[in-house]
Amino acid sequence: MLVEGKNISFSYDGFSLALRDVAIKIEKGEFLVILGANGAGKSTLVKHFNALLPLEQGELRVAQIDLRDEKDIWLLRRLCGMVFQNPDNQFVSSTVEEDIAFGLENYEAPRDEIPERVRAALALVEMGGYEKRAPDTLSGGQKQRVALAGVLALEPEIIIFDEATAMLDPSGRQEVLAIMDKLHKAGKTIIAITHYVEEAVAADKVILMQKGRILACGSPEAILTDLDLMKAAELLPPLPVRLYHDLRQAGVHLKNCPLTNEELVKEIWQLKSKT
Amino acid sequence: MKTLPAGQYIPGHSFLHQLDARTKILCLFLLIATVIGALSLWSYALVLAVIALLILVSRLPVRPAVAPVRGIYRFLLIVFLMNALFFGGEEVLASWGIFQLSREGIRQGFRVVGNVLLILILGNLLTMTTLPTQVTTALESLIKPLKFIGVPTEDVAIIISIAIQFIPTLVEETELIKMAQIARGARFESKKLLERAASFIPLVVPVFISAFRRADELALAMEARGYRNAKNRTRRKKEPLAPHDYCALAVCAFICLVQFLLLRNLV
Ligand SMILES: Nc1ncnc2c1ncn2[C@@H]1O[C@H](COP(=O)(O)OP(=O)(O)OP(=O)(O)O)[C@@H](O)[C@H]1O
Ligand SMILES: [Mg+2]
Repeated sequence: MLVEGKNISFSYDGFSLALRDVAIKIEKGEFLVILGANGAGKSTLVKHFNALLPLEQGELRVAQIDLRDEKDIWLLRRLCGMVFQNPDNQFVSSTVEEDIAFGLENYEAPRDEIPERVRAALALVEMGGYEKRAPDTLSGGQKQRVALAGVLALEPEIIIFDEATAMLDPSGRQEVLAIMDKLHKAGKTIIAITHYVEEAVAADKVILMQKGRILACGSPEAILTDLDLMKAAELLPPLPVRLYHDLRQAGVHLKNCPLTNEELVKEIWQLKSKT
Repeated sequence: MKTLPAGQYIPGHSFLHQLDARTKILCLFLLIATVIGALSLWSYALVLAVIALLILVSRLPVRPAVAPVRGIYRFLLIVFLMNALFFGGEEVLASWGIFQLSREGIRQGFRVVGNVLLILILGNLLTMTTLPTQVTTALESLIKPLKFIGVPTEDVAIIISIAIQFIPTLVEETELIKMAQIARGARFESKKLLERAASFIPLVVPVFISAFRRADELALAMEARGYRNAKNRTRRKKEPLAPHDYCALAVCAFICLVQFLLLRNLV
């Protein structure tokens, strides 16, 4: 287990709980998506993984590091990178190259290795050649990819995306999602928080959060097609799932509940060829 | 053609572009001293000649290079009046209550306004021929000696770098908030200076709130990327200054000396 925690509770203000008795297990190489309404506690939970928030109650181990031990926090942050929602609030330097070097400099990487590692990280996010550009001259998707490169330069095990696609246009979103997928295939553990349920379809595992609790955890098929569960989490299931149920009510019975548009087309095609 | 805003970097390969940013900053200080030290007409003639030469050498278009002159004439007018009216001189031309217009006052007003303008143009020449990153890196290495008097220079360097990085975002945001308020009926175009100034007050609060929120998020992002303190970080490489940098410094120092030793006391 790469991440293993139980009985985690947390409160920002001392009386209302942002996390209530959460237990979580994440395996190495897993692609995990966390869904939940605003204020469900998703960000609060993931900020525990790289110790941006202190572990107040419960147990948590990430990459063999016990979070109750404060002294390894800095090492943990190298293993567990994080990309945030707002692309504009993540840059510390006025060129792409220096910004990516920021993390490396924090970990005192040898000076002459830095340019090569910066180049490699930029190549991973397909932003080679942008070294000298100022971050504010890039598109949203490009900014997020640079922010991601800054994280990747540290060669983390786990990469957390906290609504990293939320402020992007559709093409910017696709750019970031494609790289997420590539990283997953390369064996990285990906934890993605999102409000787009469609982004959860490709996940290995989906966690549904509500009011500081983990409501459910399972495969996308099990979670996303369960209308009652989704409703309890105050979420709307993906369009194909809703269509499947609407069609059912209208008396059209598809064989399986589809998660993607392609699956929906296939189901309808099968139904048509049967009649 | 759209006129270039003052101070923005214009790429080029002139002598000024090629100078090390550290040299340019030090030269700027020397030349500012030369401006401030100017008293006689001869010393202003020297300063003007130097500036003309610099613009020539930079191969920059003249208009944006002297653009700061246009942007702030209101401010300069106020500076002039303050000096003219409050500078107690012997040859009083007129007086109203506490205000007193004297020949010396007018001269002082011209001098201060002239100095501000000349210094602005010089600063403008620096930023137009130097990338912001080069300026920050240079500042970082120039403030190093302050460490010996207890200044946390590494932290200051990071602060400078982040502050400069944040400027475009904040400008954009101010513009957005302004638009939002115009959409709700606010006016920023009043001709009256006081009204105009007052109309900007409702702009300041949201811009500050948003700046604080951004700063919070940025601090978190920095921590997430392993930032502990400014000390335990990889050191940047120190580039030695080239011969032409030393030449430029020597020339500026010479100009400064000529100003203070010779021209200043000529009438
Ligand atoms: N810095 C903070 N100080 C005080 N309370 C906070 C803070 N951050 C979050 N909270 C509260 O903790 C709860 C959980 O917030 P959290 O940010 O984890 O939710 P989230 O699931 O990430 O929501 P969103 O989808 O809006 O990002 C909310 O009730 C929120 O108001
Ligand atoms: Mg959140």
